[in-house]
Amino acid sequence: MTAPLMTVEDLRVTFRTPRGPVDAVRGVSFQLGRERLGIVGESGSGKSQTGRALLRLSARNAQITAKRMEFDGIDLLSASERQMRDIRGARISMIMQDPRYSLNPVITVGEQITEAYLIHASASRTEARDRALEMLRTVQIREPEKVFDLYPHQVSGGMGQRVMIAMMLIPAPDIIIADEPTSALDVTVQLQVLALLDDMVRERGMGLILISHDLNLVASFCDRVLVMYGGRVVEVLEAGQLTSAQHPYTRGLLNCLPELDRPQRVLPVLERDPAWLD
Amino acid sequence: MIDVQDLSVIFGNGRSHVHAVRGVSFHVGKGEAFGLVGESGSGKSTVLRAIARLTQDWTGTIRINGQALARRRDRRTARHMQMVFQDPYGSLHPRHTVNDILSEPMEIHGLDNREKRILQALKDVGLGVDLRFRYPHQISGGQRQRVAIARALILEPQILLLDEPTSALDVSVQAEILNLLGRLRADRGLTYIMVSHNLAVVAHICERIAVMNRGRFVEEMSVDQLRAAEGTDAYTTQLIQASKGYDREVARQIRTFE
Repeated sequence: MTAPLMTVEDLRVTFRTPRGPVDAVRGVSFQLGRERLGIVGESGSGKSQTGRALLRLSARNAQITAKRMEFDGIDLLSASERQMRDIRGARISMIMQDPRYSLNPVITVGEQITEAYLIHASASRTEARDRALEMLRTVQIREPEKVFDLYPHQVSGGMGQRVMIAMMLIPAPDIIIADEPTSALDVTVQLQVLALLDDMVRERGMGLILISHDLNLVASFCDRVLVMYGGRVVEVLEAGQLTSAQHPYTRGLLNCLPELDRPQRVLPVLERDPAWLD
Repeated sequence: MIDVQDLSVIFGNGRSHVHAVRGVSFHVGKGEAFGLVGESGSGKSTVLRAIARLTQDWTGTIRINGQALARRRDRRTARHMQMVFQDPYGSLHPRHTVNDILSEPMEIHGLDNREKRILQALKDVGLGVDLRFRYPHQISGGQRQRVAIARALILEPQILLLDEPTSALDVSVQAEILNLLGRLRADRGLTYIMVSHNLAVVAHICERIAVMNRGRFVEEMSVDQLRAAEGTDAYTTQLIQASKGYDREVARQIRTFE
């Protein structure tokens, strides 16, 4: 791994609620280089909250603390809102799960990509339009001029997610945080979108954090995988080491998945050990 | 048990019509589990919805135990055939307790012994009686899906139509629900038609599987053929390949099938 783009040490996210504090993330540490890092866990494991906290996009009642949360020499915890606005989108961007909810329904997709470029770069509108069309070509959209003028409801889920990726890539960020970017997509489209992100990491030297519930998919795609449970990282797996996972939670998750080439009459059920939370 | 001949579903009319299902035929024997797999828009859920008559825009013949079904749903077939939906958050009334949810089908069909049946249904799906007077938001996603299955079973149907019953659930909860569905079928000799985009989930429950694309059956195969990836059709092969995780080469070669 090259010099880390981002270093996180002992990240904690706590929500103040009427019923008392809820600890969503409880001491997560990792370094991200120009690589594909996966964060995997079930619902409520804190994986999405970890991703949001990195950009300080947590809900208002959340309190984020960390020993260290650094990106390119900038302390993300003490950075002002103004500094954060310069980082968000331009240097670290985020791809959400469902393009239907994250794209503006009343603005054409081309206009949205153009806007993403204009906010972060000083360029003329024609220049921005050309860049947007080029970016649509980069994400393998066949007729970019035609798609440019379509509204989000007129494009398919897979194409919508490509548009989102184009929008996130156009300011050329150093890091992309993708939160379940392909979970709403068909398996074949899912693979194509991942291949696209793969290219971006290889060709542009970006760092990618891929957050997902799909252990098999993430393990087959990422260089390294953090397995989260109850707000903690319980295991770190290197690429291709999924089968040699040690933690009983990771093993339990793998075992309870039905598999095509391993028929079982009854699936083993995951028994949770309260000690995993300590 | 279930015999479908030349089923077609067309939504809308004129220039903007959508031919969702294009002349599909299949047979499901008593006690058998039949799976429909395919990608979004392939028509797999629409086939199920036509059999349940949740859509009236179908043509062809659907026979249950030899009896042809009418276009609209009726009370009598509802007793033989019940459906479990994908999203347990959306399919349970948020302001009805578990008790209300389980009572409603019995009220509609005038069943007696309601108290006993509710307790039995809860027990059958592995829910404690302490959940009986809870609201859906007070129980977990897996428990909700168990309530949905209990509601389907309370009329003692012979057929369950399962529309992606586990895709909204965490994998550990999915395993519990799949085990429950397997056990219920073995205990009661139920007949299933299950729709899913997840090949491994369908293979776990079903003996025979039909692969759908663009409203048609691309291929019908046994679970052993599916497991051995012995599809003869190029679309099936691509679908099986793609569901095995990320592979750069596989991703490069993906094509669209008309």
